[in-house]
Amino acid sequence: MNREQIFKHVQDIFRDIFDDVDLIIHDSTNSDGIEDWDSLNHINLVSAVEKEFNIRFALGELQELKDVGAMIDLMEYKLK
Amino acid sequence: MNEYKFSDIKIGLTESFNVEIDFSKLEKFLDISNDTNPLHIDRKYAKEKGFEDRVVHGLLTASFYSTLVGVYLPGMSCILQGIDIEFSSPVYVGDALTIYGKVSYINEAYKQIEIKATIVNQNKKKVSKATIKTGFVDE
Repeated sequence: MNREQIFKHVQDIFRDIFDDVDLIIHDSTNSDGIEDWDSLNHINLVSAVEKEFNIRFALGELQELKDVGAMIDLMEYKLK
Repeated sequence: MNEYKFSDIKIGLTESFNVEIDFSKLEKFLDISNDTNPLHIDRKYAKEKGFEDRVVHGLLTASFYSTLVGVYLPGMSCILQGIDIEFSSPVYVGDALTIYGKVSYINEAYKQIEIKATIVNQNKKKVSKATIKTGFVDE
């Protein structure tokens, strides 16, 4: 799965978690840009990504992520 | 009360317990919720609508999902974070329910677990199912 394919799946996950079918995410998207991105939805997001892609994140990895682009990069690395 | 810690939790870990629905439970939930829909309080109306008797409030029975996680799985350390519930069959006064829960996913980073739960009646008929998310306090 290439980066573009990962990104599309992740966008679908964001739309589901944040109940917004029109939500568009970018590499620079972070919690400042989505009103409902609170701590519980953050966990929901991580759980949904882990289950969808069958990968696991360590807390340290997650704490270093500054935006969606960084998460996609990490996912791409884990899926290789 | 069970006292599972996060480190004790494994995929597939299962707990269950039994509850009988008596008239007093229905009356107490009616008092708490003030949900006076005639399906819950008017036997004649309920029968006219195709039910066997007054229908027990779905959220009364769903309250046992709270018991499942708060007392049994994980029990003491539980902090309930979310429930998605689907109701599939009515519950009546006199029914004997069994509540099952099984760990289906573990989020190691944030110490949250998901539990697939079901409630079945004395005839082994599923009355509802739920996906429950719970965290752990003081860990």
